This record gives sequence, structure tokens and C-alpha cells, in this order.
Amino acid sequence: MKKYLALVLALCMVLALCACGAKPAEAPAAEAPAAEAPAAEAPAAEAPAAEGWAPDGPVTMIVAYKAGNGTDVTARILAQYAEKYVGQTIVIENVDGGSGSIGWSQLASAEADGMTIGFMNLPNFNSSIVKELGTYTTGDFAAICNHVTETSLVLVRADDDRFADIDALVAYAKENNTVASTNGAQASNHIGAQAFANSAGFKYTDIPQGNTADELTSLLGGEADWCVAKVADIAGRTDVRALAAFSTERLPEMPDVPTLGEKGYYDQWLGSSRCIVAPAGVSADVIAFYEAAFKATMEDPDYQAAASEFATDYKDAAATAALIEQQQTFTEGLAEGFWYE
Amino acid sequence: MLDTLQLMGQGFISALSFVNILAMAGGVALGIIIGCLPGLSAAMGVALMLPLTFSMPADTGLIVLGAIYCGAIFGGSISAILIHTPGTPASAATAIEGYQMTLRGQAGKALATACWSSFWGGLLSCISLYFFAPLLAQLALKFMSAEKFWLGIFGLTIIAGVSSKSIVKGLMSGALGLIISTIGLDPISGTKRFMFGQAFLAEGINTTCALIGLFSMSQVFILAEKAIKQRARATQFTDKIRLTRDEKKMLAPTVLRSWIIGNIIGILPGAGASIACFMGYNNARQFSKHKEQFGHGAMEGVCGSEAANNAVTGGSLIPMLTLGIPGESVTAVLMGGLIIQGLTPGPELFTKHAAMTYTFFAGFVLVQFFMLAIGTLGCRGFANISRLSDAILIPCVTVLCFIGSYAIHKNMSDVVVMLIFGVLGYLMRKFDLNTAAVVLALILGPISEKGLRGALRVSGGDITCLFRSPVSWVLIILSIVGIFSPMLMNRFEKKVAGVDLEESSES
Repeated sequence: MKKYLALVLALCMVLALCACGAKPAEAPAAEAPAAEAPAAEAPAAEAPAAEGWAPDGPVTMIVAYKAGNGTDVTARILAQYAEKYVGQTIVIENVDGGSGSIGWSQLASAEADGMTIGFMNLPNFNSSIVKELGTYTTGDFAAICNHVTETSLVLVRADDDRFADIDALVAYAKENNTVASTNGAQASNHIGAQAFANSAGFKYTDIPQGNTADELTSLLGGEADWCVAKVADIAGRTDVRALAAFSTERLPEMPDVPTLGEKGYYDQWLGSSRCIVAPAGVSADVIAFYEAAFKATMEDPDYQAAASEFATDYKDAAATAALIEQQQTFTEGLAEGFWYE
Repeated sequence: MLDTLQLMGQGFISALSFVNILAMAGGVALGIIIGCLPGLSAAMGVALMLPLTFSMPADTGLIVLGAIYCGAIFGGSISAILIHTPGTPASAATAIEGYQMTLRGQAGKALATACWSSFWGGLLSCISLYFFAPLLAQLALKFMSAEKFWLGIFGLTIIAGVSSKSIVKGLMSGALGLIISTIGLDPISGTKRFMFGQAFLAEGINTTCALIGLFSMSQVFILAEKAIKQRARATQFTDKIRLTRDEKKMLAPTVLRSWIIGNIIGILPGAGASIACFMGYNNARQFSKHKEQFGHGAMEGVCGSEAANNAVTGGSLIPMLTLGIPGESVTAVLMGGLIIQGLTPGPELFTKHAAMTYTFFAGFVLVQFFMLAIGTLGCRGFANISRLSDAILIPCVTVLCFIGSYAIHKNMSDVVVMLIFGVLGYLMRKFDLNTAAVVLALILGPISEKGLRGALRVSGGDITCLFRSPVSWVLIILSIVGIFSPMLMNRFEKKVAGVDLEESSES
């Protein structure tokens, strides 16, 4: 008798795993909206582009990073509120690995029927092309819109009285060798630090930490003197101080922080963007449908309340395509004479 | 002070609401299931549940995530003990003794030990969470590149402890693990190393994948090699599951030491439960009065590993909550959950949002009791798996290995990596090499490499930078003690044993 019980238990273990293995990424996205969206709302009626193309089944959105990562969290919030306008369930699928390249390869080779779309992270996506991690190019994707934009900042410890402002940092860095922590070799914050140092005309030592959390720990622990990170990374923090922003205009959320350009240093925008793209070859109707649906989502007050912690920045398909190309040209241009060595 | 105590008390009252109790029980149960399935780690479980918690009240959402975290870290031990398949890397060291206990028919006892030790490890870690959080958090900021390097070196000295048969073979296995850990993008310069054009290797060999191959798939090969007979592997099966008073007394010092180890490891950035379990195991072995049992199913080994990995849970929350520094992947996801709920980590959590924070803490304490209850109830049932015939178990474990490695990235290349490591593990075990040492080196290799190269980069190549801070020196001394203590202890024990033998022969 006990033997059979044991057998049943063993089978349960295997079956449970089969179930888990198949659907881990889908379960939360599928269940969360069920709890969120009241049944009274008729989704089809609100879909703005219903007369053209519309998806006839669940839409898959590929996120090239782990579940729980920054992109994943913002993607899931968007997906949750976008279902109302898309008229279908949106399933977030996390395909991480290879610094994002595994996910983007999968997205590039997905069928161009509009049922699979995904997130593209700039400039990490561009770096993966430059580093030849994937076989895709920007031409393998069709832009739909931009979702989140985060501007980079130059940061120091809040209690570091050597650096009252950005000029003090530059003056100090010209006299002494400073250390800047980054989120990885040639990753977004390393690009920022290098662009700043090049424009100000000083040399520094970079220390790659692999991710932004460890990058900030390195700064707070005193190993690094300064670093570059994005606005969302320091939201609510009091232990770091922003000296300048990589932006053409002062940021509305921190009006006291000057731009690097106005101080005479790097005068272009730098940061990261999360765009929504489809595999190349989808019809113009598909692009138009998602463009309108996500625009409506990002203007939805419920979405805006849920997304108050990060910088939603809608850009239409044409502007997003231009952004991807601009970032690609920029990242490729870095290879020659940008880095030391 | 009185205010704080009042807040703590109120925390328990609000944590005991019906919804929260439901959240704890459900979260722990789900966590245990996620944990015992290979390929689904604690971090994945928490990440998958995260979006569901957005719609819950902040305290309930956080309690669910905390419950899954604790449950998963304990759950990993179930499959580690029963089928030599650590459900999460945090239970890798548990498999060493736990599976030996199962072979001796003591699966139930091993599970009960794991459950009891996990409970105490987790519960004690709450003490530091409650009372020393801001103080201990500073420790995280003392760990820069040089200290991380020494932490990795100290961790590697455990190889001496886990290779009971031959130190040389243990070192060979460790070196192999270190070599394998260099696969992937170079952490400092970003150049490709040993990737052979395969993009999926960019982030290195996945530890979980290698773990499943080395521990479980190799086990399948070894079982399948023998003639498959319709009999259970455990020759005798004892139904005595409950720990006796004497056993608890024997394990208590191990729990206390593992608590301290786990708690500190949890606080340090970059380290985590997967390192703590080995350190706890090694420590239990060093201080054990029955060293001869190690390698043949020592309860203390299971206890040391499981108490340490659950003690990490409370410890790892400390720098995340007070400084906004997540020490490991689980707390990084939890931090995402906090921020989405509008709670920014930092001092404000203990002032402005104190009511919320203490409710979460109280939930975390109560979760440990749920873990003990659910674990104890499940022990008897789970233990019966060890009575299954190999003919049933082999296909089941094979399925688990394949799906587990596929589930990590939903990528077939991981399954291939798992199979390669399965064959490697099989060959290694045939030649008496040590698979645990490979896993240990695979986890610690990148930490030490990044630490060493980072430290030298900052100092401009000046090697003395490795010997500047007191924390470095503490780790250096611990490493030296770690390397030489087994030899010294051996010599000492031989003397004692010799005396014992003489005495017994006289009588």
C-alpha cells in the first residue's frame, strides 16, 4: 500500500514539474489580469484600431532578461493595462541569457504575424550587435513605439565633500586618477562614464561590476569615486548625489541638477530606452494597431498611477525607429578611439 | 525604544490577519514545491510571483514573497536528500550527507533534520533582522574587490573539507571547476572566452545546469549501470522520523554556528545561500565529534548546510532594506517588489513606513513556523519516495533533470550543457573525483576572479592592496585555519583514537 502511495507522490513531483516547466513565465501574466480587469469592461469595444488588423489569440511579448529584472517589471505593468486596448491576453515570456542576445535572436526569428512582439533595450541591444553576440541587425526588427526612457547621471557619494559640483570633480580628476564603477565592461554606464571623461579631458580607471546594484555598492563602499547610473536607479536614495545629467535640458524631476552640456562637457543625451518592436516583415496594419494600443495604454490614468515609479516616454514608430538607428550608429562609433587602450 | 517595541508588537497583530496567514501558508507551500523542483530556484519563484503581488496590499504581497523565499530554500533539500538532486544550488551541500542517509533508510530522519534546522536557521536570522539591521548593514559596504577575492579564497578552502577521500583529487576537481568558471564574457574587459561562437555561453556555464548534471544526471547513470531490480534502494527503512531530544541537543551547536555563518554570508554582497550551505556543512564537519560519519550520512552535515542556507534569508534582507543593496538575486527581485509598492529601501522604511516594515518582519518570523509545520507534515510522505524501486525512480529523475535544466532559460542548449555535465559527473565519480568541489569552484571562481582583477585595477597593479583592510586579514586567517585545520585535527584525533583503541582492547 505504502509503495503505491510513494509512487503516486513521485509522479506528482514529476507532473508538477512538467506543469511548472511549461508555463512559469505565462502563469503570472495570465492570472494577474484575470484578477485585475473587471469582467464588465468589454475589451473589444475599446480597442482603437479594431477596423484594421487585430490579434486573434494571446500575444507573446519577449523580454530578453530574467523575470523580476527592471525591464521585466515595467513590461508586466504595461502588459497588464494594455490588454484592455489590445483585446487579448498578453503573455510576457522571459528569454534571458547571452546578455540579452538570446531573447533578441528569438524575437528576430519569430513569425512576423504580429502575434509575437518584444522589448528591445537600447543601448544594450546595439552593444550585442557590436560584440557579435547575435546574428541579427537593426534591420531584423520593426519599431512599434518607445516605452521607457531613463537618462544617465553622474553620481558621487552624498557625503563626499571633495566634489561640490561637476567642475570640482573634473578638476580633481585631472589632478588625480579617479575610479569609476560601471555596470559592466562597455555596458551603458561605462559608455556614459567614458563619454563624460572624454569630453572633460581626463583619464580614469573603470571597475566593472556586472550590474547596477553592485556598481552603486562599489561607490557607496568608497572603492569608486564616482559613477554613472540612471535616474530610476537612485530614486528615493539619499546616500548618493547627482552632479550632472546626460541630457540636453534639465530634467523636470531634478531641476537643480545641471546638464553636462551647460557646464561645457558632453552635450548629447545618454541613457537607456526600452522600445517595443516586432520582427521585421510585419504588415503596416500590425504596427499601426500596436502603436495606437500602447499609446492609449500609456495615456491611461490607471496605468500612469501604477507606473509612477519609472519614466514612461511614449514615442511613435517613426521616432522609435530613428532612435534605434541613432543608438546603433553611436554604439558602433564608440569602437574607434572612444575607449582607452 | 518603547515606540519601536510597540511597532514590533503591532507588526505581529497585523501580520496575523486572516489574509496574511493564508498568504504565509500558501507562500511556504508554493515555495517548497518550487524549491524541490530542480531548475526552479528561489529567485525564479519570487520573480514569477512578483507581478501577482502588485494587486495585493503591500504587506501581504511582501509576506507572500518572503514565504516563497524561505520555503524554496528549505524545499531544495527535499529532492537533494531523496534523489541526490539539489532543487536549488543552496542545497548542494545537503545532498552530500542527506542522500547517504536516504541510502541507509533514514530518509525521514534526514528530512526532519533539514526541516528542523531550516526552521531554526530562519528564525534565528530574524533576530539580527530585528535588532541589528542598521549595524550589520555597514558590513556590506566593507566588502569591496579585495575582500570579495579573499571571501572566494576562503570559500575554496572548503574543498579540503568536502573531499574526505583524497585532498589531491579534491584539488584537481576544484581546479577543473575554476577552469570551467572562466567560460563566458570576461568580467573586466568584456572579451569572449572559450565561447566558440555560442552566444548562450556569454554569461558563463549556468550553475544550476551544471549542478543538475553533476549531481542528478550522473546519479541516474550510476543507478542505471547496475542491473535494475524491482527493489527499493534503501535496504532498511526506518519509520522513526521525529528528532529525539538527544539528537536535538547534538545538533544545537551546529545550528548556532550555521546561523552566524549564514547570516554573515547573507549580508555580504555577491555571496548567497549556495556558498553558505557549503560553509555550514564544512563547519559542522570541523567541529563534529563523529567525523567518521561524514560521507556516510551524518545528520550534522545536513543540519549544518540547511541551517546556514536558511539563515541567509534574514541576513540577505538586511543590506537590501537598510541600504538598498541587494546581496543576491532573490533580494534583488524583492527590492523590485518593494519599489513597485512605493517603499524605497533606506532609513525611511524604519521611520515613515515602520508599521509596514515590522508587519513584514513579523510575517517573516511566522513564516518559519509555517515552514516547520508544513515540512514536518510532509516528511513522512516524502520519505516514502526513497522506498521506490530504481525502475520507477530512474525515469522520474531523468525527466526532472531534463525539464529542470530546460526551465532555467527555456532553451535546449542548457539541456545539452546538463547532459555534458552529467557524463562528466559520472566519469568523475568513477574516478573518485569530487563533484561538489567542481560546483563550489564554479560558484566561487567568478567572485574571486572579479575581486582580484578589480582590486589590482584600482590599485594600478599594486599587490599590497589585497592586504590593507582588517576584513581582508580576518578572511586570510580564516583561510589558513581552513586549510590546515583538517590536517591538524586529523593528527590530533588519531592520537585520541589511538588512546581509545588501547583502552577498549584492554577491556
